[in-house]
Amino acid sequence: MGPQPRERETRQLEGLDLASVIERAQGHDAEALGEIHHRYVRRVLGLCRYMLDSRETAEDATSEVFLKLQRSIASYDGSTPFPRWLLRVAGNQCIDVLRRSGRAQKVMVEVDDGAAGIEPTSSEPSPLGNVIRMAEQAEVRAAITRLPENYRVPLVLRYYSELSYDEIGQHLGLQKNQVAVLIFRAKQELRRKLAHGSK
Amino acid sequence: MECYSEQICEVFVDGELPVDEARRLRGHLATCQRCQERVDALRSENRVLSESLRELPDEEASLAAVSRWRLSRGWGDLALLAAVLALGGIALVLIDDLQIPAALEWANPFSVNGFTNLLFNVSDYIAQGGTAMLTEYAAGVGGVVLMLLLGGSVLMLGRRWRRRQPGLRLLIVLLALSLPSFAMEHRHGQFVTVAANETVDDTLLATGDTVRVEGVVNGDLLAFGQTVEVRGTVKGDVVTGAKRVVVTGTVEGRIYNFSQSLDLEGQLGHSLYGFAQSLRVDDRSHVGEGVVVAAGEVSLEGDVKRSVDIMGSGNADVSGSVGRDLTVFGGRSLTLTDTARVGGNLSARVRELKDVHIADGATIAGKRDIQLQVRQSPYSHPRFYFHQAIWFASAMLVGWLGLVFFPGFFRATTQAVGSGWTSLGLGIGVLAGAPVAMIVIAITLVGFPISLMLLVVYLTAVYLAKIWVGAFLGWLLLKPAGGTKGDWVLGLLVGLLIITIVGYIPYLGGLVRLGVVCLGLGAFAAQLYRASRPGMTA
Repeated sequence: MGPQPRERETRQLEGLDLASVIERAQGHDAEALGEIHHRYVRRVLGLCRYMLDSRETAEDATSEVFLKLQRSIASYDGSTPFPRWLLRVAGNQCIDVLRRSGRAQKVMVEVDDGAAGIEPTSSEPSPLGNVIRMAEQAEVRAAITRLPENYRVPLVLRYYSELSYDEIGQHLGLQKNQVAVLIFRAKQELRRKLAHGSK
Repeated sequence: MECYSEQICEVFVDGELPVDEARRLRGHLATCQRCQERVDALRSENRVLSESLRELPDEEASLAAVSRWRLSRGWGDLALLAAVLALGGIALVLIDDLQIPAALEWANPFSVNGFTNLLFNVSDYIAQGGTAMLTEYAAGVGGVVLMLLLGGSVLMLGRRWRRRQPGLRLLIVLLALSLPSFAMEHRHGQFVTVAANETVDDTLLATGDTVRVEGVVNGDLLAFGQTVEVRGTVKGDVVTGAKRVVVTGTVEGRIYNFSQSLDLEGQLGHSLYGFAQSLRVDDRSHVGEGVVVAAGEVSLEGDVKRSVDIMGSGNADVSGSVGRDLTVFGGRSLTLTDTARVGGNLSARVRELKDVHIADGATIAGKRDIQLQVRQSPYSHPRFYFHQAIWFASAMLVGWLGLVFFPGFFRATTQAVGSGWTSLGLGIGVLAGAPVAMIVIAITLVGFPISLMLLVVYLTAVYLAKIWVGAFLGWLLLKPAGGTKGDWVLGLLVGLLIITIVGYIPYLGGLVRLGVVCLGLGAFAAQLYRASRPGMTA
C-alpha cells in the first residue's frame, strides 16, 4: 500500500460520520481510533487541564484516556452521545489521578462541613455579568484554574463535561446535595476571585 | 411567599431541582421580580462559564496554536544546538551531496556509520599524538572540532544563561570558556574516575581514554574520551563526546550526547539530545522528559515520559513506552513490538512501507501517519532546470561583475587555479581550517566581529570558487589568443557549463564539486597572499 491510498483513506475517515468511525474503532481499526483521537484530543486535554493542576499531568492523563480507549470503546453502547461518554471516561481518569495523589479525599472531606447549604451574605459578589468580552473569558479561565481542587473538579465536570449532579456524585462518591453545595461554593469563590482580580 | 435561596435558584437553573419543587419555584418567579432577576443572572453566569471553558487556559491555547510541541527550554537548547551544528557543518555541507551506492556505503566516510568511525578513530588518533593525520582528515576533523567545541560548550553552559538571548548566551559562553577563572574541575588521564565514595561539587571536565563516574557530580559532567561510563549520579547535565557512552546510574539533568554508541540503562531526569550511531534505551531505564536524537540504530526498550523524535538512517525498534508522540524521520525500518506503547501520535517517514512493522499488540493512542520518504529524481522536475538556470545565470553575472570591478584580482585568481595540487591542498586547508580559525578568534570575544567578517569572506569565497575554476577551465580549453573581457567571460561560460554538468554525474559529481571548491579557495587564498605582498605581484 502506497502513501497515496493511505492518505485517501484518512481523508475518507475525516469526512465519515461519527457513528461509522466509532463502529470501525470498536472493530479495532487503528485508523478509526486515530481519527477519534484527532477529533477529541483537544476536548479531552481541556477537561484534564481544568481538572488537574499541571499541564504535564493533564497531558499524561489525556494520553492515558486514549490508550485505554482502545479497549474501552468496545463498551460504548451509544446510549449517550459519544463526546459526553468520552468526557465521562476522561473525568474518571482525572479523578483516578487525583485519588492516586491522595488529594481527592479533600473533595469528600471538606464538603461535609457545609452540606446543609449556606446563604450568601449581602456583601457577596453577584453572579457574573451577562455580557463578557474575550479578555474577561480569559480571566474566568485563569480564575477557574486557581480554584481549590474540591471546588474546581465539580465545577468543571458540570460546565465543561456537562454532567448532571448525579453523575458528578457518582464520579466523586458524593451525594447529589453535596455536589450542589460544592458547585454553589465554587461559583461564589470564583466570583470572589474575579471581583478581587478586577479591583 | 418567601423568596428562594440563591443555592436553590442555582440548582433550579442547573435543571437539578425535583420536578414539583421546580414547578413551585417557577410559579414564584412569575410573582417575584427579585428572584426572577437572580435566576436570570445565574443563567447568564452559567453561559459565561460554559463559554469560557470552551477554550483551554491561555498558556495552552496559544501554545497549541503554535504547534503541538511545547517550546520548552529544551527546545530552545535544541534550536541553539541546531544553529551551532549548522555553523559547524559548513565544512561538511559540500560533501553532503556525495552519493554512494549502497554496496559501497561502508566505505563512505560521510555516512552516519562511516562518519562516526572516522570521527572517533581520528580524534582518538590525534589524541595519541598523530597530529600529522590532521592534514589528511582536515575536512572531517575541522567539522568535528567545531561541532564539539561549540556544541558542547554552548549546551553545557546554556542552562545557566537560559533566559538571555541565544546570541548573548553564545558570547557569554565563549567568554566564559576563555577565562581561566571558570569554576570547573578538570581531570585528565588515561583512566579518569570519580570513585564511589567521592563527590565533585563543581562542573567536572574529564578527558581520557576511559572516564568513569561512580560517585556523585553535583555540577555538570563534560566527558570526552574513548569510553564514558556514568554509574553514579550526576546532578547537572552530561555532555559527552566519546566512542562509547554507558549510563547505568542517574543523570538528573539532560544528556547532550555525541558518541558512536550510547547505552542508557539508568535514570535520566530530563531529556536526551544527541547524535549516536547506535542508541539503546534499556528496559530498566526511565527518561523524565523526551528524546531527540539523530541516530543510526535505535532500540527503545525503556520508558520515555514525553515525546521521542528520531532522525535515523537505520533500524528503529520500539518495545518500550513513549508518553507522547513518536516521530521517526528517515531510516530503514521501524518496528513496534507487542509491548510498545505510544501515548500520542505515531508519525514516520520511511523508505519502504514494507519495512514498518507494528505488532497487533502495540498500543498507539493517537493517529498513525506512516508515509514514504519519496526520493524523486530531481531531474524529472522542471523546477530543477529552472533553479539551475537561475543558479547558472547568477554565477555568470557575478563572474562578469567581478571581472568589471576587480579585473586584476579575478584574472590572477583564475590563473592561480592553474597551480593545481598546490591550490587543491591549500584549498582543503582553508576549507577546514578557516571555520576553526574563526571560532578561535571569536573565543577571544574582541575578535568576534572579525570572525563574523571572516565568515562572510569565507562564504563568499566558497561561492566564487566555481567561477574562478570555471573561468580557468574555459581558458584552458579555448586558449584564447587575446585576453579580453569577452574571452574571459566566454571561458567562464564554457567552464561553468562543464562543471555544472559534471557536477550532476552521480557519485563523481559530489567529489568534483568538492574539488572545485577546494581549488578555487586555494587559488583565492594564494592570490590574497600575493596581493598582500606587493613585491610579489609582479
